[in-house]
Amino acid sequence: MNRVLFNFDGKILDRIHNHSLELLNETGIRFPNKEALDIFKHHGFKTDGEMVFFEQSDIEKALETVPEKFELHARNTNNSFLIGDDSYRMAPGYGPPFIIEKSGEMRPAVLSDTKKFCKLVQTSKALDFNSSIVAQPNDVPTKTAHLDMLLSTILFTDKPLMGSTSSKICAEQSLEMAKIIWGNTDKPVMLNLVDSLSPLQYAEEMVDALLVYARAKQPLIIHSSCSMGSSGPITIAGSLVISNACTMAGICLTQLVNPGTPIVYGLGGSPTDMQTGGYVNASPEDAKHTAIVTALGRYYHIPCRSQGALTESFSLDYQAGMESSMMLSTAALSGAHVSLHACGTYGSMLAMSFEKFIADEDLCRAVKILMKPIEFSEDAFAMDMIKKMGTSGNYLIEPHTAKRCRSEFFIPDLNTRAIHAKWLKMEPRQMDERASKLLEKRLSSYEKPDIDPLIEKDLIHYVENIK
Amino acid sequence: MIMTDILNSVIEFNKTAVVDHVTAAIKKGIPIDDILNKGLIAAMDVVGEKFTSGEIFVPEMLQAAKTMQLGLEVLKPHLAGDALMEKGTVIIGTVKGDLHDIGKNLVTMMVEGAGFNVIDLGVDVDVEKFVSEAQVHNADVVCLSALLTTTMPIMAKTVEAFKEAGLKAKIIIGGAPVTQAYAQQIGADGFSDNAPGAVELIRKLTAT
Repeated sequence: MNRVLFNFDGKILDRIHNHSLELLNETGIRFPNKEALDIFKHHGFKTDGEMVFFEQSDIEKALETVPEKFELHARNTNNSFLIGDDSYRMAPGYGPPFIIEKSGEMRPAVLSDTKKFCKLVQTSKALDFNSSIVAQPNDVPTKTAHLDMLLSTILFTDKPLMGSTSSKICAEQSLEMAKIIWGNTDKPVMLNLVDSLSPLQYAEEMVDALLVYARAKQPLIIHSSCSMGSSGPITIAGSLVISNACTMAGICLTQLVNPGTPIVYGLGGSPTDMQTGGYVNASPEDAKHTAIVTALGRYYHIPCRSQGALTESFSLDYQAGMESSMMLSTAALSGAHVSLHACGTYGSMLAMSFEKFIADEDLCRAVKILMKPIEFSEDAFAMDMIKKMGTSGNYLIEPHTAKRCRSEFFIPDLNTRAIHAKWLKMEPRQMDERASKLLEKRLSSYEKPDIDPLIEKDLIHYVENIK
Repeated sequence: MIMTDILNSVIEFNKTAVVDHVTAAIKKGIPIDDILNKGLIAAMDVVGEKFTSGEIFVPEMLQAAKTMQLGLEVLKPHLAGDALMEKGTVIIGTVKGDLHDIGKNLVTMMVEGAGFNVIDLGVDVDVEKFVSEAQVHNADVVCLSALLTTTMPIMAKTVEAFKEAGLKAKIIIGGAPVTQAYAQQIGADGFSDNAPGAVELIRKLTAT
């Protein structure tokens, strides 16, 4: 069946791989970073200025040492989790500098917003870890904002975290903070996102961060994306090749630096709005792109990252729900292992919204249930009960129903299932207003997770010292 | 008739036709200024309007701009030395720390298409370079582009540096996170959220 989105012919994956190798070998990838160039040269790679050229064997050798799965450790070990196999882990928005209010007004995010989001992540039934830039605060100096954000994540949550990749110093300082908690360790405690620049190059600072984390053997999401039709070809096929070549080059560098460094593979391909030249995330094309990228992740035996509940909308409307659902469901059902931007973003990741965050949590939980295999145990078949009830039963009174009534079905926190008459009388009735009400409840019942007071003191001292 | 042909060949981005028609127009003795202003530039105005109304898409607009450039190449040897400089000199670049250039390139092509002398400084351009290039080329308008909120403050620094240097060039800004309010806040002379809008703005600012 051609309409089964998630089955890709192995030969197609071979062609994507082979075309990527062709680009890696003939066109090369630009690494404007002396340290990286020296590493490539030291390992006998052909270089020309800042361009690095790869042989098939270089890529194959690198892929051999990338682990198929790894455990990401949390401060609270109950929150540690596996990345790989059948797992699917979600984090909220990554990078938005703005907040969109219910009124539609957009304002710069501030540190108190970041802290609020951290509290929501901690109390979230849907999210597994926090992003390193859940909202980029504008009221603190840019140079040290990563420290404020990481400290907030550590103090307000005990879920796994991400480090900063904005520069070498940001990466080093993130690792220093991890060291205060875990000491010198090469177990994965900090997931880090390295993005390439399309077409076919990396920014110097990103490569610096890649080198810092790879040396510490901390897991890296190596992600390349292009805006299809502007910073890459307009076709999904062409975009896959250009991004895959770049991601392969990045992965190769990590394994040269420290073989066995855990990797999450990622490619992004978003359409360019041909009427404006703007960047469009939430689209059927981006969703299809995600589907085949997850197949490529399996082809390479590397866990795969995808986008999350993205929308182009700026309010909690039908468009936001439709697009977020399409994007997240496709990622989940096609086999992504990690989704960033799973909660809270509007307008192609431009802004975060507290109300959207709450609404997305229902979506995330629903999607997790959607991808869970259907149970076919004998208890689930419940043959004895069915025979006993015959044609005149009311299954609501059965212990089998009572036993499973809280766990069998999805119970939304925000979405309404009220009858019409009750819905009419509901106060407040609009979704964004109901989300606000839930938000208040969540924040007022928030409890800070336990942390060793000495570690807390050291972390605060470390950050204050730098600032 | 031949002017309509030039106009249509740009609008339909027919690159062979534009060269043929401009060559024919020169042979016919049509004033060079008319071929430029009533033919090629007028065509790009139509293209700009069609883009603004959503009738044509960005890649089509760019093909039209490329077609216009080909016509201009044919015309150039016949133009009086500084005919293109008369409309004004525009300096454009993406500010320091920012490597995004899609929007900036779009504006460059459209402003060139409107007959301005455009000097593109590329990406990651520091404040000093904007100032020195504006001085060297006696720029009328300087266009600053940024995609990142973290690089937007460089726009403010550039405006300040121009004031300090006593330069009279008008500064206009653009890019996804940039707004009219931000332009006012930093004392820039204008803002546009699209390429044809930038052309209109530059025309207004350079009108004598």
